[in-house]
Amino acid sequence: LKIWRYLLAIVVLCGIALAVYVVHLDRIVTTQFEGRRWTLPAQVYAAPLELYTGEDLSAPDLEHELQRLQYRRVDHVDKPGSYSRQGDRFQVSLRAARFADESRPATLLNIASNGAGISGLTDITGKDVAIARLEPLLIGSIFPIHGEDRIVVTPEQVPPMLPAALKAVEDRNFDTHFGVDPLGVLRALWVDARSGQFEQGGSTLTQQLVKNYFLDSRRTAGRKIREAIMAMLLEVHFSKTDIMTAYINEIQLGQDGDRAIRGFGLASQFYFGKPLVELDVAQVATLVAVARGPSYYDPRRHPDRALKRRNVVLGLMAEQKIISSADAQAAQGRPLGVMGRGSGGYYPAYLDLVRRTLRRDYREEDLTESGLSVFTNLDPRTQELAEKILDKELTRLDHLHKIKGAPLEGSVVVTAPQSGDVTAVIGGREAGFDGFNRALDARRPIGSLVKPFVYLAAIETGRYNPATIIQDVPVDIKIPGAPDWQPENFEHDINGPIPMVRGLARSLNLATINVGMDIGLDTVRHSLQRFGIEEDPPRIPSLLLGTFELTPLDVAQLYTGIANGGFKTNLRAVRAVLGADGKALKAFNLDVAPVAQPDAVFAVQMMMEQVMQRGTGTPAQSILPTGVVVAGKSGTSSDLRDSWFAGFSGNAVAVVWVGYDDDRVTGLTGSQGALGVWDRLLTAIGPTSVSSVMPESLHPVSIDFRTGYEPSASCAPDPVTVYVPLSFTPPPAPPGCTVFGTAPKSGTAGGAKPEPTLLDRAGKWLQGITH
Amino acid sequence: MSRLLFLLTLGAIGVQLSGCVIFREPVENPQSPTQHPAPAYSGTPTSPYPAPPAAAEPAPAPTPPPPANVPPPATRQFHLGPAATALVAQAHRQAAGGDPQLAISTIERALRIEPDNPLLWLELGDIHETAGHFDQAAGMGHKALQLATGDPRAQSASWHLIADSLKARGRNGEAAEAQRRADELAPQ
Repeated sequence: LKIWRYLLAIVVLCGIALAVYVVHLDRIVTTQFEGRRWTLPAQVYAAPLELYTGEDLSAPDLEHELQRLQYRRVDHVDKPGSYSRQGDRFQVSLRAARFADESRPATLLNIASNGAGISGLTDITGKDVAIARLEPLLIGSIFPIHGEDRIVVTPEQVPPMLPAALKAVEDRNFDTHFGVDPLGVLRALWVDARSGQFEQGGSTLTQQLVKNYFLDSRRTAGRKIREAIMAMLLEVHFSKTDIMTAYINEIQLGQDGDRAIRGFGLASQFYFGKPLVELDVAQVATLVAVARGPSYYDPRRHPDRALKRRNVVLGLMAEQKIISSADAQAAQGRPLGVMGRGSGGYYPAYLDLVRRTLRRDYREEDLTESGLSVFTNLDPRTQELAEKILDKELTRLDHLHKIKGAPLEGSVVVTAPQSGDVTAVIGGREAGFDGFNRALDARRPIGSLVKPFVYLAAIETGRYNPATIIQDVPVDIKIPGAPDWQPENFEHDINGPIPMVRGLARSLNLATINVGMDIGLDTVRHSLQRFGIEEDPPRIPSLLLGTFELTPLDVAQLYTGIANGGFKTNLRAVRAVLGADGKALKAFNLDVAPVAQPDAVFAVQMMMEQVMQRGTGTPAQSILPTGVVVAGKSGTSSDLRDSWFAGFSGNAVAVVWVGYDDDRVTGLTGSQGALGVWDRLLTAIGPTSVSSVMPESLHPVSIDFRTGYEPSASCAPDPVTVYVPLSFTPPPAPPGCTVFGTAPKSGTAGGAKPEPTLLDRAGKWLQGITH
Repeated sequence: MSRLLFLLTLGAIGVQLSGCVIFREPVENPQSPTQHPAPAYSGTPTSPYPAPPAAAEPAPAPTPPPPANVPPPATRQFHLGPAATALVAQAHRQAAGGDPQLAISTIERALRIEPDNPLLWLELGDIHETAGHFDQAAGMGHKALQLATGDPRAQSASWHLIADSLKARGRNGEAAEAQRRADELAPQ
């Protein structure tokens, strides 16, 4: 009898222990599952494509943009995300979308296009629409390091076929069981034994959810029991619909480097580039197949396995009467249709810039957990063009130069001149690879990219203009405690007295140094600082040749200021941030501040046009569309290590760097390396001419490009138009032909007075060579 | 608000001018330039800028300014394309509804379509000025002034905005000078 008492006591104690354990698990289940739900990484969107009458967007380009957003072409538009096209007339069923400034319901839009662009927009009633936009492309999210990325979907955003398929394949008694399904286990064992392969698992969806949500991946008996108890507790507290929705949002469906693809919402974007609700039968079945084993059935790495498993799923769906046998067979005949990883939609270098921008204002947890929507200025079209062109050109250059070691690298930054919107960032040749972001982190000597700022500062002193005769003659600069600095021109030539426009267009070092030393290093440094670089360049004479280091993004900041007519605008990757509730949290407003004299900036812009016409940018003429006027400047660091080109059209500023990561000599000047990327990119973007308007304080004059004199018919002149103050007229050409080499020593007419010592040196040198 | 009215009127007149540089589309027989001015904006959804004359076939894109190497004509007249016009009207509704930030976003949207149009920079500056962002307003005024070269009305409006923003920051001397320039350029 006594033994029974002991047994009873043990049973009671065990019961109490179990009860305590269950209560403990219950607390975990209720607090974690109900309280936290999911951490929501911030979703990052590209700039939406605006549509308006008169827009320069051809029918093929429009169709390409629709396809980028994975719109389906159909005969008659039905659901959002579809469009029809008859010739140049489109009917588009636009998806519901959230923009930085408003939410838009799904809506129907008619778009008429012609050779010149969009010729009309109307709504469903035929009424004219002034402006509309496609929804912004989702370009990524900000997920925790080694963390989970997901897009949470509500039951309405789930195609009904998906839960049905999940039940058919994973858990037939889902609607009736209490969290675990002993019968299901037996049936699964039977099916698997009969077929000899692992077709059905015994875990219910609820158990799988628990496994994904609460537990690690160890497979122990204790864990199985815990999983079963928690599954039952979950069933006690939550409805079947809640559990199904949780499953759909929780389950892992892929891995992308450090990023775990969680939930069907993200998986749909990750594999098919469109919202879950728009997937067809075959695509739904593919995701259900992947859910069984995201790495084993990875549709990109193991397409055969994934396809086979998908067809099994389709068979089971037909067996359970979710779809007809005919539909299943038709779907089984379809390819997987998974987007290639390189097919865009993933821009790590741009996301990196977005992340850095946001870290100034947000804590890491806010970004990775609280469901923010981040609207950026990325233009997917520009970004993709830049990626392709950079890779293609670098490949060409690698073949051309064949230098041992790792291949050439490069980076690109593109901005909008008037707003500072950053529209594209390429951090390296392998643009889809989330590695070293050269656009933001590679600091390299900028070489002659500094020269426009030297000449800008000179013009602003009031003592120089583009027609001023300056001295391209040797200099000998004393540096305390160091040997004298005696730089040379790239071609080791000496050109004597020349107009300033030639000094910039031909990127002459000596002329630039003489001007820079005349106006003072601090004037030049100030000229750079005010356009918004982060660190002041060092106060040394070689600053005038750009021996200090900047990143491509820094250079884009500087050159956007020139393109913007002397207005500084902080480069912007992010437009606005919305909270999970859709309320605006922060706007990054456009802000412009005048930082330079507009007429001086205009004069420099026009000289930079001459860089393209007669200087180091001329190779671009064979690439750029004829008649389009652009402005730019090449840059080459010493010993040909860094090849730069920076410049702008009316609608884009682009900065290109080409070089080796280990700083080896490339053998490329700016014109030979970076320019080939720059001109092809601008051409692909579709450049408009530089749109600056001549200020009223200036007038155009024609001078001889070689001498700076009034063009003289007697001397085969090379006339060039420059913009000078109204009071200035170019000096008449002296009698005879006065090109350097035969010119009289007094070549100072009409310009700033050069330092006599320099002129004397030039004169001596001249005598030396003319003998 | 007075500058707004003024801009509306100049927008209305702008459409009537046939030699308008920014508006390349042929305009037949310009009617009397004194025809009705545009309706003043009063919170209604009507466009503050008159629509361009109906074109027979393809509607014009917002025309880029003349190439840089061409000296500007003595006078020209800016106006807004249809898309920007609609957005400006929307921004006015948003500002009137007490949401300047939304209005700013909307004008910035228009600026992405017509970045070289000083009228949009003036609109943006206006909203910033009303919202108390005087530094931003001044920046917009200077930017508008640069783009408005050759258009005395837009230049005058730009100086006016600059003057207002200076005055708001207590820089009365400079404000008076800017106002003087605005008045000089203002049409009689």
